[in-house]
Amino acid sequence: MAPLVYFQILSAALFVIGLYGVLARRSAVLVVMSIELMLNAVNINLIAAASHLEGQGRFLNFDGHIIAIFVITIAAAEIGLALAIILRMYRNRATVDVDEINLMKW
Amino acid sequence: MEWAWLIPVFSFVAFPLIVLFGKPLPGKGAPIAILAIGGGFVLFWVALLGYLNVVPGVNNCFTSSATGVFTCDYRISWFHAGLPGLEDSVELAWGMIIDPLALVMLGMVTFVALMVQIYSLGYMKGDPRFSWYYAYHALFAAAMLTLALADNFLLLYVAWELVGVCSYLLIGFWYERPAARNAAKKAFIVTRLGDVGMLLGILLLWREVGSFSMLDAFEAAHNGVLNQGAATAAGLLLFLGAMGKSAQFPFHVWLPDAMEGPTPVSALIHAATMVAAGVYLVARAYPIFMASGDALLVVAVIGLITALLASTIALASTDLKRILAYSTISHLGLMMLSLGALGYTAALFHLMAHGFSKALLFLGAGSVLHSTEEQDIRNMGGLRKPMPLTAFLFSLGALSLGGIPILAGFWSKDEVLSAVSHNMNPIFIVLALFTALLSALYMARAMFVVFFGPARTHGHRHSHPIHDAQLSMAAPMLLLGVLAAGFGLISFNWPGSYQGIGSFLFFKEHEGFHITWWIAIVSTLLALAAFFAAYLVYVRQRISLEGARTAFAPLIRVVENKYYMDHLYQWLVDRVVLVASAAIALVDRAVVNDVGVNGPAEVVGRVGIAMRRHVTGHLYSYALVMTLGLIGLAIFWWLRAG
Amino acid sequence: MDFFTAIEQSALFLIVLAPIAGALLTMFTSRERPQDAWHFAILVSAITLALSIFIFVQYDFRAGGYQLTHIFRWLGYPLDINLSLGVDGIAAPLVLLNGIILFGGVLVAQTIKRRSRDFFVLLLALGGGVFGVFVVRDLFFLFFFYELAVLPMYLLIGVWGSSTDFGTFRRTKEYGAMKLMLFLVAGSVLIWVGILALYVQAWKAGAPTFDMSTLAEMAQRGDFSEGLQRWVFPLFMIGFGVLAGLWPFHTWSPDGHVAAPTAVSMLHAGVLMKLGAYGIIRVGMELTPAGAEAWMPVLIGLGTVNVLYGAFSAMSQGDLKYVIGYSSVSHMGYVIMGIATLHPIGVGGAVLQMFSHGIMTALMFVLVGAIYDRAHIRDINVLNGLVKRMGAATFFFAIAGLASLGLPGLSGFVAEFMVFTGAFKEYLPLAVLAVAGAAVTAVYILRLLARSFFGEADPRWAHLTDLSPVEKGVAGAFVLILIAVGVWPEPLLRVINTGVASLLKVF
Repeated sequence: MAPLVYFQILSAALFVIGLYGVLARRSAVLVVMSIELMLNAVNINLIAAASHLEGQGRFLNFDGHIIAIFVITIAAAEIGLALAIILRMYRNRATVDVDEINLMKW
Repeated sequence: MEWAWLIPVFSFVAFPLIVLFGKPLPGKGAPIAILAIGGGFVLFWVALLGYLNVVPGVNNCFTSSATGVFTCDYRISWFHAGLPGLEDSVELAWGMIIDPLALVMLGMVTFVALMVQIYSLGYMKGDPRFSWYYAYHALFAAAMLTLALADNFLLLYVAWELVGVCSYLLIGFWYERPAARNAAKKAFIVTRLGDVGMLLGILLLWREVGSFSMLDAFEAAHNGVLNQGAATAAGLLLFLGAMGKSAQFPFHVWLPDAMEGPTPVSALIHAATMVAAGVYLVARAYPIFMASGDALLVVAVIGLITALLASTIALASTDLKRILAYSTISHLGLMMLSLGALGYTAALFHLMAHGFSKALLFLGAGSVLHSTEEQDIRNMGGLRKPMPLTAFLFSLGALSLGGIPILAGFWSKDEVLSAVSHNMNPIFIVLALFTALLSALYMARAMFVVFFGPARTHGHRHSHPIHDAQLSMAAPMLLLGVLAAGFGLISFNWPGSYQGIGSFLFFKEHEGFHITWWIAIVSTLLALAAFFAAYLVYVRQRISLEGARTAFAPLIRVVENKYYMDHLYQWLVDRVVLVASAAIALVDRAVVNDVGVNGPAEVVGRVGIAMRRHVTGHLYSYALVMTLGLIGLAIFWWLRAG
Repeated sequence: MDFFTAIEQSALFLIVLAPIAGALLTMFTSRERPQDAWHFAILVSAITLALSIFIFVQYDFRAGGYQLTHIFRWLGYPLDINLSLGVDGIAAPLVLLNGIILFGGVLVAQTIKRRSRDFFVLLLALGGGVFGVFVVRDLFFLFFFYELAVLPMYLLIGVWGSSTDFGTFRRTKEYGAMKLMLFLVAGSVLIWVGILALYVQAWKAGAPTFDMSTLAEMAQRGDFSEGLQRWVFPLFMIGFGVLAGLWPFHTWSPDGHVAAPTAVSMLHAGVLMKLGAYGIIRVGMELTPAGAEAWMPVLIGLGTVNVLYGAFSAMSQGDLKYVIGYSSVSHMGYVIMGIATLHPIGVGGAVLQMFSHGIMTALMFVLVGAIYDRAHIRDINVLNGLVKRMGAATFFFAIAGLASLGLPGLSGFVAEFMVFTGAFKEYLPLAVLAVAGAAVTAVYILRLLARSFFGEADPRWAHLTDLSPVEKGVAGAFVLILIAVGVWPEPLLRVINTGVASLLKVF
């Protein structure tokens, strides 16, 4: 079995890529995609940790799996909501560039 | 005499009756007031006889060791401050003291008030606020009687303030005239300044003695519970109140202005009764002044200064009523001087003699004013012809106050001078005699110029002919005239038990009738000389004063400007009080409100404006902050774990 | 159980309930007929007036202590919050005062035309809150009713108030309302901190409670250390002091008056400011006596500043309401001084002064409101000779003014005299200053009377009409009370004396 650290490195890499996307991309769609990437990075981390614990001994701990499933569910709901908002945004302002949308301030 | 508390009640009841129901009644409510004060006058006689016949030891009557006077004291509970029975709680009583001093005031107040109220029937006829006039008079009479009879300092103070407010209302009775409004305000505020001192004195006595009762305070002063320092402080503070009411220097400025009120009011309040209240207060609180000694000297000095100052101003004044007003101030000063010189009986005797004479003079002046509508003596003259009765009675009053023998003023002034010569430094008697001379001079001047000199018609503004006083005005004047002429008789020993006024009205021990011959002769000569000189100047016009006028021009200007006292007060009010007030109001607006309140509000607002900059609305900046926060947290944990 | 006993047992509950329920019911009156709301509010306030008179008369001053007590249990251990009711000799006259002022205020609020229904809802709620503070014996409910009395003020001034341009500065009703609200809420924060501190301390002592009687006993037993009391009392002193107009936190009061409509000004100066002083007595002095004793020299100093500062400020004001507003600051100074003497006569005088000043200042605001309604101006340099057109108003104002400057025979004198007496015994130099302040009062009152009321009649004011019958009735009743209390203060004083005596037993 591959050591846990490989998975963690993968997860970290994916997370950082996602983070970069959130911070740097201008398109709202890409921002949402980057968030998905980050969520999945977390999922990998969780599952890896859970199976690693599993590999150590008896099949005892489901916490990682459970949370991963939660994340997937919430991510699905979130993406639905986010895309709906982005769609409305596009309809209203003919752009999905987050730089140009800064209504939510004082 | 348990009904003594009733004496002021008649007039107290009359006041609301006239206010509420006066207008539609016949006489517009005036008869109610006159009946009430008439009732008071009757009760005075009943009280006097009752007092003379009362048996010692019963009926709350006893001989006070502090004053040496047989005193009756009747009280009913008024209110309690503090729970009864606890330490420091006091019961305030509606208490009446009946002793010679109170009886004397009672008699004079009821009599003069009765005379003036009858006189006013004619004088105030047709005034649109006739009912109010009599209502105020009723309230004044009630308060003045309470003042004279009060057996505790608090009740005295209550009455004291009430007569003050009546004086305010009556001076400002014709409030359409700005001068009357301002005079009323001035009178109230100046006397109020003195009252602050008086209230402090009363509270000080309470603090030292533990009671507001006068008899307790006198007892304490007598047997030394009230130490000399406290007695001096209390005496001086009380005297401040007396100075305000009795228009003593430097509080005398309000009385001349008070002449803006109707003349009968001047006669009653500002000549005979209320202004004498200060003298009465000092006489009443005499044990305290005696215990102090120093306070008594202050009384004498202030009295002398007042007497001198006022009589010089009276000589320079050209307004008939103001001459009388300054004369009043001067004579009140003499009374104070007498009290300060241990001339207790003399002061009160002079108080009465002056009260009758001055009321007569004012009523005479009122008669002149009523008929000529003129107040400036330079526009009067020869009025003896059209109004002989007024002229006769006014002259009687003037001669009496001028100190011409056998008239009332002569005897009382003589007693005063005699007391001063016996008990004071010689400088006092010299100045007092000088004041007596001035007093005779200005009286003679007023009398001769108005009634005897050449008739002057210029400035005669009215159409109807000058007439003498009508019956309702003449009768009170006649009665007062009788007293001004013959009141001196009560000072002698008479066959029988009556031993002169000094045997009835005294402090500590009887004072027999005595006459200091050299003073009697000197003062008579001075008075006669003054009248003769004035006769030569104003009637015969043998002597012209022009030379003297030019020689003493600067001095005369100072006197005509009343020693610039009014200017000084005006300066104090304008430049000190109002400026201080404006400064405080400005501080309240600029510092407390604009800096203290709006300042922090402004700061909060500005901080808010500054802080909201971080809400950029840009998604990535929020994300960046979140990320940095996360990194920061991670580093923090890492360091802590490491 | 007959009707009378039933009323007696529930009088205190009813007097709090009646205005609050009345406020709720007023919401259901017709918006189309605004007179209905007024009539209904008159009915409600008449009931509370009757109840307040009943409570005052029913209070047995010989027995003393808390009477008409009743407890409605609410929350048990460990909070121990109960609606506990009771009046003593200090609260009873103030309940009466609030009954009188509320009734008078509702009567003269006839002139409110806009959204009158909402106005009466808020006014009654405010009145209910004030009654609540006076009769409640539980800190939680005291705070609750205190807030209930304070919060409607914001809307009452903000909606029905008036904005004035004074040339050099402007005072809008929103400004007045906001300033008042922020000050009072800041004060309540301090009070709430103090209350919680006492509660926590009671918990530490083993009996957590908000009940004031229990807390007072604990304070007497020494459960509250002196150190604790020393920092808790100033919280109450300043927190309640803000409402009492304590210098330098008085500044909300004159601005509030200037902005407020007549009836609100009456309640504001007449009873609301008294809540503050009452709070200092009831909460501060009763629950933290050692702290009170330590801080009283400070309080009396501030009170003296109040007296003189208010009087001097009033002298330079050009607006009638500012004059009265600052005079209230000055007169509340006497109340504060009296309380701070901790002397039976001084504290008694303070309570009497609360009553007397409440009536007097309410009377002044009735008259100023009436003048403003007619002339649409309150500038004393512009108004003059009102006596010609408004004889009754002038008559009443003169009496109120004379009461204000402490004329004997009117209620103010007895109260001020008692305060002076107490202060003279305890703090002589300050008492001297306060007596002098009474003379300053004479200056500004007489100046006002001479300038605006007497004086030449001005053709500009020829159109003014005198007071309406309702206004005359209210003002006349207030004047009668001023005279009655001034001439014979004993009925009030014997009740107050009892309350003060048991209050001061601790000291």
